[in-house]
Amino acid sequence: MKFALAGNPNSGKTTLFNALTGATAHVGNWPGVTVDKREGSYKKLGEKIDIVDLPGIYSLSPYTPEEIVARNFIVDEKPDCVINIVDATNLERNLYLTTQLLEMDVPVVVALNMMDVVKKSGNEVNATELSKKLGVPVVELSALRNEGIHDVMKKAYEVAKENRKGHSVLETEDFYDLITKVEEKFVELGESSPLFKAIKIVEGDEALCAKYPQLVELIKSDKEKYKDNDFGGDFEGMVADARYRYITANYADTIKKIDKKTESKSDKIDKVMTHRIFAIPLFIVIMFVVFHLVFSEDLFFINGISKGNAGISGETAINVFTGMGYDDIYLEEMTGVITEKYEEDFGDEADDKLNSAISYVANKVNVELQAKGEEIRYDDIDNLALEDMEIEDLQELLVYSGGDVEEVNPVIGIPSPGVFLQSWMGFVTGKLIDLGAMISETWPAWLSGLLCDGLLSGLDAIFSFLPQILLLFLFIAILEDSGYMARVAFIMDRAFRGLGLSGKAFIPLLMGFGCSVPAMMATKTLEEEHERDMTIRLTPFFSCGAKAPIWAMLAVAVAGSFLGDIFVFSIYLLGIVVAIISALLIKAFGKVKEVPPFIMELPAYHAPQFKNLMAHLWEKLKHFVYKASTIITAAIVLIWFLSNFGWAFWQGMVGIEDSILASLGRVLQYIYYPLGFTWGSEGWKYSVATITGLIAKEDVVATMATLGITEKTIALSNAQIYAFASYNLFTLPCFAAIGAAYGDSSKKGFWITLLWWLGCSYVVSLIIFWLGYLFEHVLVVGIIVALLLVATIILLFVYTAKKRKKVLAN
Amino acid sequence: MPLLLALENVELTVIKISSDQKTKQHLASLGVIQGSKITLLSKKLGNIIIKVLDGRIAINEDLARQIIVA
Repeated sequence: MKFALAGNPNSGKTTLFNALTGATAHVGNWPGVTVDKREGSYKKLGEKIDIVDLPGIYSLSPYTPEEIVARNFIVDEKPDCVINIVDATNLERNLYLTTQLLEMDVPVVVALNMMDVVKKSGNEVNATELSKKLGVPVVELSALRNEGIHDVMKKAYEVAKENRKGHSVLETEDFYDLITKVEEKFVELGESSPLFKAIKIVEGDEALCAKYPQLVELIKSDKEKYKDNDFGGDFEGMVADARYRYITANYADTIKKIDKKTESKSDKIDKVMTHRIFAIPLFIVIMFVVFHLVFSEDLFFINGISKGNAGISGETAINVFTGMGYDDIYLEEMTGVITEKYEEDFGDEADDKLNSAISYVANKVNVELQAKGEEIRYDDIDNLALEDMEIEDLQELLVYSGGDVEEVNPVIGIPSPGVFLQSWMGFVTGKLIDLGAMISETWPAWLSGLLCDGLLSGLDAIFSFLPQILLLFLFIAILEDSGYMARVAFIMDRAFRGLGLSGKAFIPLLMGFGCSVPAMMATKTLEEEHERDMTIRLTPFFSCGAKAPIWAMLAVAVAGSFLGDIFVFSIYLLGIVVAIISALLIKAFGKVKEVPPFIMELPAYHAPQFKNLMAHLWEKLKHFVYKASTIITAAIVLIWFLSNFGWAFWQGMVGIEDSILASLGRVLQYIYYPLGFTWGSEGWKYSVATITGLIAKEDVVATMATLGITEKTIALSNAQIYAFASYNLFTLPCFAAIGAAYGDSSKKGFWITLLWWLGCSYVVSLIIFWLGYLFEHVLVVGIIVALLLVATIILLFVYTAKKRKKVLAN
Repeated sequence: MPLLLALENVELTVIKISSDQKTKQHLASLGVIQGSKITLLSKKLGNIIIKVLDGRIAINEDLARQIIVA
């Protein structure tokens, strides 16, 4: 047997589905979480029963794509019973759908959900009375608390064995003879649910009218009679009106309302959350706190604000337990102390003195090691930098220079939960890599290379970010489950309308700062295809977490490293600006498509459910691991092969300079030539890095490191660095994101999106590089060109606004 | 008058909805049809929130202009 769960959005279908089948489907407190039907099975009735969870629908006249899925299922697949979940806190509105379901020839059980909330507010719903009036069983239920779910199934099982004939609440209406007329024809045709289909024909339902034009013709003249009534002959309006009138007249007295306040608790919260002035600042603060908790290395800026006086120093328990990578911080502090000391002591001669001191200590270490019969530690003493020395040797250097090692006590902040988890994850994956190296020591070189340099370090780069990503999802799930996200869509709608998007598109884009993959999957709730395509196209421009290491590395390399934070900030800003310009361009040169009106039910706020949150995270984790273990692993193996073998790969491994990857990189180098960052003999390495970024954006930095380019050795001008950064920001995202884009775009939209990413990255980098080049060499011309560009963008704004007005006026 | 101009927290009756058929249908399924009683809860820079039956529905400015109430 097959039972379908149907009901209004956000009425608790998925919660019931999870309770019945033991699944962990994502439940959220905003309409449209279930975007496709889902199947599971219920086994407690002796017979295995298939349960189908349908997307939420307000009526059987479909509006969004997911509503079409739901209606088609009930009409075409003929389930043995429809369990209609009704939100008892908004009974009249929910019964609107029920009256339509009852018109079909299918057994129906009404499940009154959220009865606990109704009772808590002191209201009452008389289920027995309602059952009598509806003519189908009504069962009380609290899906969230697992109350009554088996009663629903038992009832459904009982009625599923009998046939039910559809009946309508419209019987007393004067236009009912039209319905009877069409119904008779459907009976003659031997169609299923003739009553339901007849009503839809009279209403003028698009899909059915197109299928049976002869029946539309049949009642055309009869319809004329109603042309001048209150509804001006709009049968859809008449039918809807009749339904609501019937519901109010007949079912309203099954509800006893004690709680008569018009303003609920949710309304009070909304007074603040959707306030005309505070709403947006509040939202920014909330999001900032979330990002701060996930990404900050100095929680609540305790150290920043107290200027280090908070006393959280390197040796405190906090840092030991948080696994903050104390050595790195210590190393940085140590080199800083030494450099400063030399500058103070020797002024202009500091560099020479420091270099001779480095040579002295390095030499000494090498000699000592040789005396013990071990390998020397420092090969190239003439070019040795402080940063490349071991901690113990630096300590010796400081003592040699007359400094005090005790004084080096770096101050670091309390890490945010996100950074804390990431540090430990990095610690664990680091140990796994060590373990891999140990195990594979005796293996052939190619095999151990594949395991350690290929698989393990590749997966490490990805998995070390997993805790942060999950934590970000947890916070977003809390915002979703509480009901706040629906408000955010509402708040942002106005600004987005100017870009050809509705407010609903904001949530996916925001998620893009975390990871593009779930962000793109979240576009399923958007009504129009062109809106989904556009949102997916813009998502990667919101710099994701995996791209952050690239910016961090380049920030050090930008001349005058005090500009590092401004550099990173400007990259994020650049992404948003280019996203806005992209949307405008697509709007200016594409067909103007109307943004659908924003109509969204705002669910009541409620405290997030722990079970829901965990189920949500579990789903995300499963998805992540699945992706990592399939497509990403395959890509890692491929890149490893390409970078370790030459074209004559049967002759064994070669150095990376002679690898297939290098030769491909040298070809790409010329394609990238106009963008500046591949100039010079090292240029091919940068072009290769942009390609390995396809596996995961973290690989950009990893690849450059393998090829011998670190933040210290980048020999690019600022213009080249900017061009390289923007190329990586706008180019094709990682394979996982491309896969998600493929899954959720229209076929045509997907290819345009790919071209858009490639084109955008090339053009933006080109502009940035040459603009920067002009600024560095001929300042005046640079300023003129920059102003021209800004003027063009402003004109574009004006042009699209005019075009939109013109089209909408027609 | 258009819903956009109505007073907040007063019960209103919908007189006419002059939008396209699809939108009208969607509004109807949410309980907003000719003759239904709605209350304007808040206006936020043109976009509005209304109470209809026991639900809260957010509507954008253009559509709020197309709903005539009394």
